[in-house]
Amino acid sequence: MDSLVANNIRQRPLRALVSIAGVALGVCLVMLFTGLSRGMSNDLQRRSSSVLAEIYFTRPGGMELTTSTANLSVKYAEELSKIEGVQSAVPVIRYIFQGGRGFGFEQVQGVDWEPYAAMNDLKLVAGRAPAAADEIIIDEAKARNGNLSVGSTLALFGGKPYRITGIYSPEAEARVKMSLAAMQDALEAPGKCSYILVKTKDGVDPLAVVRRIEAQPSTQGNKIQLTRDIITNIEKTIPYLGVFLRALVGLSAVVSGLVVMLAMYTTITERTREIGMLKALGASRGYIVSVIEREAFVISLLGLVAGFVVSFVAGFLINRAYGLLFEYGWRWALVAALIGVGGGVLGALYPAVRAANLDPVNALAHE
Amino acid sequence: MKTILQAENVEKVYRVGSMDVAALRGVSLDLEEGEFLAIMGPSGCGKSTLLHLLGGLLTPSSGRIVIDGEDLTAASDAKRTDIRRRKIGFVFQRFNLFPTLTAEGNLRLAERIHAGGANGGEDSGERRREVLSLLKLEDKMHHKPLELSGGEQQRVALARAIVNRPAIILADEPTGNLDSENSAIVLNMFQEMNYRFNQTIIMITHNPEAAAMCRRIVQMRDGQIVAPNTGLQV
Ligand SMILES: Nc1ncnc2c1ncn2[C@@H]1O[C@H](COP(=O)(O)OP(=O)(O)O)[C@@H](O)[C@H]1O
Ligand SMILES: [Mg+2]
Repeated sequence: MDSLVANNIRQRPLRALVSIAGVALGVCLVMLFTGLSRGMSNDLQRRSSSVLAEIYFTRPGGMELTTSTANLSVKYAEELSKIEGVQSAVPVIRYIFQGGRGFGFEQVQGVDWEPYAAMNDLKLVAGRAPAAADEIIIDEAKARNGNLSVGSTLALFGGKPYRITGIYSPEAEARVKMSLAAMQDALEAPGKCSYILVKTKDGVDPLAVVRRIEAQPSTQGNKIQLTRDIITNIEKTIPYLGVFLRALVGLSAVVSGLVVMLAMYTTITERTREIGMLKALGASRGYIVSVIEREAFVISLLGLVAGFVVSFVAGFLINRAYGLLFEYGWRWALVAALIGVGGGVLGALYPAVRAANLDPVNALAHE
Repeated sequence: MKTILQAENVEKVYRVGSMDVAALRGVSLDLEEGEFLAIMGPSGCGKSTLLHLLGGLLTPSSGRIVIDGEDLTAASDAKRTDIRRRKIGFVFQRFNLFPTLTAEGNLRLAERIHAGGANGGEDSGERRREVLSLLKLEDKMHHKPLELSGGEQQRVALARAIVNRPAIILADEPTGNLDSENSAIVLNMFQEMNYRFNQTIIMITHNPEAAAMCRRIVQMRDGQIVAPNTGLQV
């Protein structure tokens, strides 16, 4: 380690800190946003994949991720359970609303507990199923994150209080559930649901059942989807997420690059005479570029480490406060690392080359 | 005796806007190994310009400069830098030490650049210590420039210039910023280096007493050498 580089950084601790913070900011942006999108999508996927019903039966438009409609008659459930190969059909209302703390969205389900639990192999770990119109059950994660237990109340639909009567496991679809009747009541949609879950009998090919449902005249005009297709579609339900993340990564690189460029630019302006001294000692252009670049590299590296630390701490704290899940992937961490260090090193290139091209006599006469 | 430096009819014209300023008008100078030469003359007569040309920090408008067998004037910018790295040690009026590095750190940086930027593993630092002790700086080794007096700083600068045993040391008014006591100490050190290592030195000075220590004095005026003097007398 060249002591000239280390001492230069030590010489101007505030500037070094600001540039480190700039790089860290870029790294944090990438880490937090990709971590959040991964965390949310994995969370949704986990909860959907614990649904054991093979078929979703909906009206067109009833299964969008961000819409909550109850436009399907529950009477179809009866028709569906009569079809050969169907073991059970359970009507569900899904209601999606803005999260209580203004970030992301939350789901509530209206479904009759016994048939739903039997269909998907869920168990109550505490309390009992909801019965009255103001009763709900929640999953273990919700209880843990929200510090909730049987008997606590939870405000839904913009302030209406609901009493928790039980806690269930494992997590499946919405973390908060009430009875179908209670939800119909709340939404003023008697006799309606969002979709009907259809579970087939053991050993029956779900596709064969789908074909039989399609052939049935009494269920025409509705949409039939396999659960496994819906799960793979979750990534695609927020269509511009990928574009957004790429734009974010690009912006972070620009931020890191500009911050380090500015820092190194002021550095070489301030140390013009020292660059002249290096030249008088016979330092080549390459050597001078390397002195500046090594300093930029050290700053970027420190920024990278700071960015990772802040990302993990922030992810943890946001999770504690808002229940949002962050999952960091190695690939995105690598991207963030390349962004931070690459941006910094690239940003320093212009000041470094400029320093290397200074006229030695003028540089020595500086100040 | 070996010729270390040859300057033949060197001219330097600065362009200032649309004006040409002739700073040197045909300077020729030869220097043998081990010489200690003083350049004197009024301010603005072209002394610094000549020194910068000899050290390859500037290129002449015409003429030829050969340092220890290598032609500076025919060399590219990179090549001139390389010749400077291997053959020249500069000492300036303003000391020009790296303020963030200790005395020893300044010498180590010079050694590293001299070695072509290679870290070269852990060197023993023997030469640094030898030079620093010759210049009576052993106990100042770990001090930074701001913790040293002007005279000490200039001794560190001399130590840094000599640590790589350059063919020539070029000193531009090395005592210009020092009081007479420190001037005397620094001049003694120059003389000591010249005597002990047979170090070739060119020194610009305004001080007749300083010049008197040199074996040879050259007088300049208006970009020309007016009194090439090979004797000891002023
Ligand atoms: N970079 C420059 N641009 C234009 N003129 C210069 C420059 N450097 C020196 N000069 C001029 O060249 C002449 C010689 O300057 P210099 O070599 O510094 O003299 P000295 O060192 O003897 O005082 C002066 O007239 C000075 O104004
Ligand atoms: Mg001068």
